[in-house]
This record gives sequence, structure tokens and C-alpha cells, in this order.
Amino acid sequence: MPTRLATLPPATRRLLITWAVLMGLTLVTMFSAQLGGDARLQALPLWSAGLLLLSTAFKAHQVLMTYLGLRDASAAWRGAFIGLVLFTLLLVASGYLLAQLGG
Amino acid sequence: MAQQHETTQQRPLPNPGWGPLSALPGNPLMWVLILSEMVVFAAFFGLFAWLRIGEREVFDASQQLLDPVAGGINTLVLLTSGLFAALAVQAITHGKVRRCRLWLGAAFALGVVFCVVKVMEYADKLSQGLMPETNTFFTFYYLLTGFHFAHVLFGLGLIALVAWRISHDNVETAAAFWHMVDLIWILLYPIIYLLR
Repeated sequence: MPTRLATLPPATRRLLITWAVLMGLTLVTMFSAQLGGDARLQALPLWSAGLLLLSTAFKAHQVLMTYLGLRDASAAWRGAFIGLVLFTLLLVASGYLLAQLGG
Repeated sequence: MAQQHETTQQRPLPNPGWGPLSALPGNPLMWVLILSEMVVFAAFFGLFAWLRIGEREVFDASQQLLDPVAGGINTLVLLTSGLFAALAVQAITHGKVRRCRLWLGAAFALGVVFCVVKVMEYADKLSQGLMPETNTFFTFYYLLTGFHFAHVLFGLGLIALVAWRISHDNVETAAAFWHMVDLIWILLYPIIYLLR
């Protein structure tokens, strides 16, 4: 017997698209981290670190909105969770930049 | 304004009677857990980034000893497991119990794969003499990945439990926990393994 709910889970198509985007962005993250050869021994260029953090933020956004169903929540809750993810990544990015400047 | 009021009337709150949590989908208590876990991990990630400023050489040299490809594979495995958990919720919503159990089984199996890769990684590090007390980087590496690993194990137990005691609410709650495990790993992987 199907369950009657105030919110329905996302359709299969949306879930599959989200999954494909997450997989693709993971590969982008790995690519931008330059894991091959001698490049791994060097500090990441700024664009590369930026791309890495941006793709991480977008992945977290996708998991929150689609998998966790936050798109059905109020704007305040969406803002709170996305804000926390962005704040976390901002902290990390600030620490990263300060370390690069100091070194 | 009138249009906004109409929209509000058309979409009832997912959890009426839960105060500010009424507007969240799924089990409201799971959202409390998700938020608190995210805050705890945010604090640890912030501390990690802060300590790296003073010990950049140590952190970068230690990071070279990790296997970022294994971490990447584990990210792909966990994300796919998350998809299967979401498909399990969809199946149970449409009353398809057998299909739901199959998706839960697939999510569980990939969770086990994640654990196997992680245990192999730990064994490799420990065999090289890299312990939590080796340096600050490895203290955080074991602390953060170990804490996350404990969540994966708990999530696997939860998935097994709801596959046995199957109901829409149970599956939705276990899947939400599993997605939180996904979310934490998505943040953890680039911070610990990749950013240098």
C-alpha cells in the first residue's frame, strides 16, 4: 500500500541525475587536486584549490537538497544548512590561504 | 502575497506539531542529529585548518603518505550507496517492500566495501608506523576518519535493522542518517586527502 505523505521522495530521474553530477564532481575534485606524478608533491595552484572547494560545496548542496530532501523544507532551514556548509568551507579556505601566505 | 498564501495552503507542513522543526521533511529528530553532527565536524575541520597554518610542512608531508585514489574510490562507493538508499525510500513510498529490501541490501553491500577499503588503508598506515601520536596531522586523520568510520558502522547496523523491521518511517530515517554519513565524507575527503 503506497504511503500518503506531505512530501514525496524525488523521482528516479532526479536521483539518477544528482548521482551522475556527484560522481562527475568527485572526478573533477580528484582531477583538480592533480594526483598524478610530481605534481602531487607540489602545493596546489590557487585555481585548483578553489575549484576543489567549489565542487565540494556544490556536492554538499546536492546531497542536502535532493538526497536529504531539504528542497521541501522552509527557506530558513535551507539557508541554515547551506550556510553551515559554506561557513565550514570558508573556515578551511581561510586557514589554507593563511598557511600558503605564511609558507 | 495572496499567491504566497495560496502556495502555503497547498503544501502542508511535513511534520505539524514539531514547532520550528515542522518545516523539515522526514523524522525531525534525525535533523537535530544531522545538524549537531555537522556542527561537530565543522569545528574539527576548522581546527584542522587552523593548526595547518603553523605546521604546514608537517601536514603536507604527512598528506603525501595517504592514498587519495583509495579515498576517491571510497567517495564514489559511498555516493552510489546513498543513491541506493534514496531508491529504497522511493520504493517503500510506493509500497514496494521487496524492491525496497533489494535497494537497502545494495546500499549495505557498498557500505561494507567502503569499510573494507578503509580497513586496508588503516592497516597500510599502521604497518608503516603511522600512529595517531605520530604528529598532529595523523592525530586528526585517525580522529576524523575514525569518527566517520564509526558512523558508517552504525549506519550499516541501522540499514540492516530497518530492512528487517521495514516501514516507511524507518527506511526514511535510516536513509537520512546514511546521507548524512555521505555528506560528512564529501567534506572530509578533500580537506584531509587533497588540499595542500
